[in-house]
Amino acid sequence: MNDNLTPTNEQKSGPRYWRSLEHKADSPEFRAFVEKEFPSGVDLIDDPVSRRNFMKIMSASFALAGLGVSGCRRPEHKILPFSKMPENYVHGAPQLYATSMPTRQSAVPLVVKSYDGRPIKIEGNAEHPNSNGGTDQYAQASILSLYDPDRGLNFKLGETDDKGEKSLRVIAKAKVLEELDDLANGKTHVLMEQSSSPSRARLVAGLKAKGVHFYEYEPVDFSVHAEAASIAFGSPVKPTYKFDKAKAILSLDCDFLGTEESAFENISGFAAGRRVNDDDTENPAEVMNRLYSVEGLLSLTGTNADHRLRIPTGSVGRVAALALKEAIEQNDVNAGEIVGELETFVKDLDNDFPKSHAVDGDGEVRTTKWVHECVADLVRLAKRGEKTLVVAGYRQPKEVHLAAMGINAILQNIGETLLLQAHKPSGNGTIQALAAGFKKGDNLVVLGGDPAYNAPADIDWDAIGSKAEKFIRHGFYSVDDTSKRATAFIPAAHYLESWGDARTSDGTLVPVQPLIAPLFGGLTELEVLARIAGAEETDPHKITRATFEAIAGNGDRKWDKFLHDGFLADSAADKVFAEFDISAASAAWKKGAKKVTPPANGDLEVTFFRDHSVDDGRWGNNGWLLETPNPVTRITWDNVLLVSLNTAQELLGSEAKDLLDFEEVDGKEYDKKLGELPGRFGFHSESGRFLQKEYKLTLNGKSVKGAIWLLPGMADNTVGVALGYGRGVGRVGGAAGFNAYDVRTAGEKHFAVGAKLESAGSKYEVACTQEQGVMDGRPVVRECNADDYSTHKDFVKHFDLDSIHHTTHLIKGDDRGYPWEKDQGQDKEFPASPYMKKGDDKGNLGNDKISGPKLMDIERQQWGMVIDLSTCVGCNACVVACQSENNIPIVGKHQVAIGREMSWINIHRYFSGDEHNPQVTYQGVGCQHCEDAPCESVCPVNATVHDEEGLNLMAYNRCVGTRYCSNNCPYKVRRFNYYDYNRRPMGVDDGERKPGKFFNDDNDLNNSPLHPGNKSSNGEWELIRWYKDPSRGSVPGLDDGKKENGEFDPEWDLIKLSKNPNVSVRMRGVMEKCTYCVQRIQSAKIEHKAKVRDTVENLESEEKISTLDVPDGTIVTACEQACPANSITFGDISDPKSEVYRLKRQNRNYSVLGFLDTRPRTTYLAKLRNPNALMPDYFDIPNTVKEYDAKNHGEVFKSKEGKTNGKESKH
Amino acid sequence: MAHDVVPSSVKIAPPPVELERPALVENNHSIGWISDTVAGVIENKTPGWWKLAISLSLFVSLGLPLGLVYLISTGVGVWGLNHPVAWGWAIVNFVWWIGIGHAGTLISAILFLLRQKWRTSINRASEAMTIFAVMCAGIFPGVHVGRIWFDWWLFPLPNANSIWPQFRSPLLWDVFAVSTYFTVSVLFWYMGLIPDLATMRDRFRKVAGKVTEPAARLRNKIAQFLYGAFSLGWTGSNRHWSNYEKAYLLLAGLSTPLVLSVHSIVSFDFAVSQLPGWHTTIFPPYFVAGAVFGGFAMVMTLMIPLVSLYRLNEIVTIRHLAVMSKVILVTGSIVGYAYGMEFFIAYYGGNPYELYAFKNRAFGDMNWSYWWMISCNVLAPQFFWFKWCRTTPWFIWVICGFVNIGMWMERFVIVVTSLHNDFMPGNWGYYSPTWVDMITYFGTFGFFMTLFLLFCRFLPLIAISEVKGVTAQADPHHPLGGAKH
Repeated sequence: MNDNLTPTNEQKSGPRYWRSLEHKADSPEFRAFVEKEFPSGVDLIDDPVSRRNFMKIMSASFALAGLGVSGCRRPEHKILPFSKMPENYVHGAPQLYATSMPTRQSAVPLVVKSYDGRPIKIEGNAEHPNSNGGTDQYAQASILSLYDPDRGLNFKLGETDDKGEKSLRVIAKAKVLEELDDLANGKTHVLMEQSSSPSRARLVAGLKAKGVHFYEYEPVDFSVHAEAASIAFGSPVKPTYKFDKAKAILSLDCDFLGTEESAFENISGFAAGRRVNDDDTENPAEVMNRLYSVEGLLSLTGTNADHRLRIPTGSVGRVAALALKEAIEQNDVNAGEIVGELETFVKDLDNDFPKSHAVDGDGEVRTTKWVHECVADLVRLAKRGEKTLVVAGYRQPKEVHLAAMGINAILQNIGETLLLQAHKPSGNGTIQALAAGFKKGDNLVVLGGDPAYNAPADIDWDAIGSKAEKFIRHGFYSVDDTSKRATAFIPAAHYLESWGDARTSDGTLVPVQPLIAPLFGGLTELEVLARIAGAEETDPHKITRATFEAIAGNGDRKWDKFLHDGFLADSAADKVFAEFDISAASAAWKKGAKKVTPPANGDLEVTFFRDHSVDDGRWGNNGWLLETPNPVTRITWDNVLLVSLNTAQELLGSEAKDLLDFEEVDGKEYDKKLGELPGRFGFHSESGRFLQKEYKLTLNGKSVKGAIWLLPGMADNTVGVALGYGRGVGRVGGAAGFNAYDVRTAGEKHFAVGAKLESAGSKYEVACTQEQGVMDGRPVVRECNADDYSTHKDFVKHFDLDSIHHTTHLIKGDDRGYPWEKDQGQDKEFPASPYMKKGDDKGNLGNDKISGPKLMDIERQQWGMVIDLSTCVGCNACVVACQSENNIPIVGKHQVAIGREMSWINIHRYFSGDEHNPQVTYQGVGCQHCEDAPCESVCPVNATVHDEEGLNLMAYNRCVGTRYCSNNCPYKVRRFNYYDYNRRPMGVDDGERKPGKFFNDDNDLNNSPLHPGNKSSNGEWELIRWYKDPSRGSVPGLDDGKKENGEFDPEWDLIKLSKNPNVSVRMRGVMEKCTYCVQRIQSAKIEHKAKVRDTVENLESEEKISTLDVPDGTIVTACEQACPANSITFGDISDPKSEVYRLKRQNRNYSVLGFLDTRPRTTYLAKLRNPNALMPDYFDIPNTVKEYDAKNHGEVFKSKEGKTNGKESKH
Repeated sequence: MAHDVVPSSVKIAPPPVELERPALVENNHSIGWISDTVAGVIENKTPGWWKLAISLSLFVSLGLPLGLVYLISTGVGVWGLNHPVAWGWAIVNFVWWIGIGHAGTLISAILFLLRQKWRTSINRASEAMTIFAVMCAGIFPGVHVGRIWFDWWLFPLPNANSIWPQFRSPLLWDVFAVSTYFTVSVLFWYMGLIPDLATMRDRFRKVAGKVTEPAARLRNKIAQFLYGAFSLGWTGSNRHWSNYEKAYLLLAGLSTPLVLSVHSIVSFDFAVSQLPGWHTTIFPPYFVAGAVFGGFAMVMTLMIPLVSLYRLNEIVTIRHLAVMSKVILVTGSIVGYAYGMEFFIAYYGGNPYELYAFKNRAFGDMNWSYWWMISCNVLAPQFFWFKWCRTTPWFIWVICGFVNIGMWMERFVIVVTSLHNDFMPGNWGYYSPTWVDMITYFGTFGFFMTLFLLFCRFLPLIAISEVKGVTAQADPHHPLGGAKH
């Protein structure tokens, strides 16, 4: 292993790694120091809060110099300049540590960047065998939760006041920990979240032996995959999926690209199977995978599908049965009597869902045909020896999974695309078992989660709470529903503060190691369990290491390598090769398969889903996630009641008119077959905002109220509801959305029939970031069907005003190509780039002196980016990564609602075609770094300028904020700080902090400086305040750093800590935008120059230049790094060997609005769809192209023989 | 004196009736009457309506400091701006006020060069209006930026950073165009005031002895001092008049291109960009025509009530109003033609983005603003084809009110509707102003009216010497001339 990469310690007194410092330093003195420096709440109350004080706490995150390591905490008295620099610590230089974020049954392997002991950016660990370095949006945003000011800061003990009201009182840590004594007995019940941690399993096993009862609960539970596989294969196994190997995928309500566990791994596999390279293939249709999706909601997977069948969630099982039947029949498999059962089960499918597939508008129902052709395609591929994959989603019952596995078995995918690994069920009880078995006088320990909030509505938490002798709560928030009922509260450590371990989806052991000592002294789950057990060793570090040594053997080097690499090599779970047990599966299917009544008007089906932002509620106070739009609806800060167009019309009758607001901007010009396109959903008669009608959703006698939202592509008579909102915790997300758990019961966790929607008579504002949902015939996203691509390689050049036939009269020989397309003889008329160097007689290089592509003539590297729209699934990881890397502030719901979101990269989602079954495209748009940037020429103060490497730079300090650049930007990617977003307190309403009032009112931000009631500025005008003391007053957190109840409020300090020190924090009145992560470019250049310093001296000028060039792949922008699909590629476009150069030469490469001649450096690879011509919902041309043709009297694929612009039936 | 001179033997016949022009000052009043009437506005007791009007104006103008302090202390977010609509009411108001500021200089400079004598009765007030309108306009670009305290970076001042403004930016051209225009307009106005200020000085001096009441004496002293100081020692000598006439001509010549340039340059803010709906070569002439159109409307909006309240209708006659109505009709038609031409080019140019922008104006979300604009700017002035309409003051006043509204709507249409739906549908948004936008805008009204009322009260609102110059009495060849009275 490479010691250079790891901070090491050469002094004998310390261990090799900083991570074991605490362990080594576990002396009484150190303990005393810890106690003093990180006191429990009592001390904190008296602690005058100041930035300096906070920095003191933070500075301790470095290890003691005497122990010789840069690491967790630097002690206070060493904050003076180092007289002796700790090994491998360079002030200001970032350090990277491998760790992982535990998820329910898996983990996300990570590398976390830390500056001066503060973790500031999370990246995927590309070294991990199962990872390409991509992550999901949750992992990217999880770092913000570390700095969440609403976290439980103190240890608390319950007490009852004179009025008999229960509350939690801040108390010394030791006092609270005493509560954990004497719990290791049969009267103790422990409720936990799921975990893949072997250490936890070890501790739990020990406690179980002492009689302690354990239960696990997850509101969104993915265990059904393993349960079904265990039945189907006769042994306890867990399936994992290899999407990269599958040529065709049938998803049965499985949102494997979005809301399934470890979706980012699936995305990377799916994208790999979808990537098309001109260099490798003539016919992309043969290379690309094909995705069929059956679902009730419009999920991320459904929007990326080539063919999509919308059917209520509960009836997906019948489609699965039909698919199984088809697979059996088409392969002549002897499946026994089950075929007959399947036959009855799927009978009348077409009649039950007359509108499920109305693409044609000809009234013909084609569900059966859809399934038939879909399965035929899978079978055809299987017969050719190709692998396919059928997956069922976590929302579906076991039987659907059994059917899916049955099809996979028939298609011989087991062991190929569907891998099985040994899986040991945890053996812990369910939450129902806890509720049933909990007796008066028992003790309850709740570790993590928030079961009182998210448990099924039929569990009575008050009853459990009143029976409990002790109710000990170890959680992240002391104000959530569960903590409120507890008798003792132990703050939980964030995973970046914790020692632990986990297994990723393939079973590889990964460490969870802290980058910072717990900011508020929280405990890890392991420590709590160890303390309950009364174990001698309660230090989670030692526990983790002991577990590791039991698995991998003893030895410092092994442990060190484990921590350094971030995983234990070759520790993946053994693959299990099992036969599909047809009789067991049939029996289980027969026993469990339930025909769900097709929902109808007045008897609706509700589908609950894991949210893209808050998950099951765990990220409910995370501003980055809340402000990241839902990928499909583009809604921020809320959940809504999603319904289809038909449902809305049937339900609401004449009211639907208000809701629909189909704008006929140019309505009459559309191709009649496309119908009227859905424009803005929801109406905005009031100031262009989405004031939606509120509806009451009643299910099982309980009801919730939420705003209604039309989502094209939803199954009819289905209401989609995201979980995780309305938790009421925290100043950021406390008011976001409504709590869908209120109507969710244990029996119908994922979908339920029998719901009613009634108007609540009120309105609710929804903050949606995209008002216009269709491209309106504009070719900003260009698409082609894979089977046409081989004959229309140049199709991207036939769009818009930059298409050949539009501009030949303007520019001779034009094809709007890039200069490096010179070899095609097209750059003769291409004007020189405005900032290129001129050559001179002294032999210096210049673009006019030497031949060859012009951009390459410049002595500097030329940065550019390519985004592949074929592989981008719209998952949002890049959006959050950018926010994290670039200190982009959250602005709050109200600001988003009026159109002031700040995200530098925005994903645009466009619907096209029929509003019942739309095609969907995604396009990530950040600054395009135009060579002829329109923003630059209009800035009166030179605040935005170009550099010689092709970057469009933004000098924040020079910006006066005329906003002219934004107006002149055709891509509208510039973001303006309308307020001092970074200094605004969160959740202030009328000067009072009210949790749950975050930015919901019009008068939140507007009121701050002049509003007399505003305590944060004491009613002073901001300029006066600023004049007196720039850092005082109108900042998050009150002046005296105390909340009304006297508790310490660390908000302002935490916000500052979370910022990336390499990126300026922008003040109000300043324009900002994507910089291509210029800070990463610069640091890479500096590092590279330092590295080649000695070599270049002796080189001649040309060689020198190429040696000084940063090698391709060294600079990775934040979005590129986070992208699990590898859709974003950044690099030097003047280097013919670079990946980005190669991609720019792809035929599919185009620039958006190329006709403006802005010559953007970010270009896109057109989207390829891979539809099956035999399917009933086949379109021979993507709908967006049809819209383009209709609008522009053009025919992009005009040489296409026998094909028309209309939909064509080939059967 | 004239009546002592022996009448010439040369007989001057009056012009034929059909060539006879109506007198610019009606009822054949004496030259002294003109002085008395115009100066009387200043010398007489403050009318009640004036007190009421200025109280109201001051009250309304409070919106300006309130809106601005709030804006500056809090951030531009207090306005209704967003992405993609980064310019809203502030820029609309700026262009609107600048447009209004066009009439004054056009009347005083271009009409002077074209020997349009009727301009004399209205040029002083129009010039004052110009200056005040440009002041109102100048507020907006100054405060609409995000960091107001760095406004000075827009000026080419030598500084330690050695950073100059960016001379390619139309916003910088604006800075030069507007500041030059303002400077020259002020100079021109003040130049023209000098003989009249001297008249005022002399009139106060003449009555000084008769004033006995101490407060009135003091007022008289102050008036004498101030009018005296600002009249720069004007004695009315031939040399003074000769210099004055030359300077006046020079400044008229200098102002004439400015009238055309300033709004052309303001239009470059839009035309130089590449936004569909902004990126149009027709903008400079169309903006200038629009400015003259809006400016004349504002002149009439102010003059019609003023003339009637101060009973100056013998100096500013129906004929003046009719002529100005004709200017409005012509420029309104030019503007209407431009609207049509924009549409035609959007269609004929074959650029779907451009075509959409115009369709969106007329039929999109904000079509109300477009149809307000068309009704007020194109349809309303068509009444002026009819004589009754252009000779009936109250009717003219109503039409001019519509034109003022229409011209504001025109700028709103250009600025906002082009921005809110531009190139990429994923970026589209909407715009609505906040109460801060509104009080700031109405505040500038109050500010403008306050200044104008002060001007009426303390400065001769009609150019006394110039009006005298166009009366029959001033023309020795006129049958009524030769200063017989």
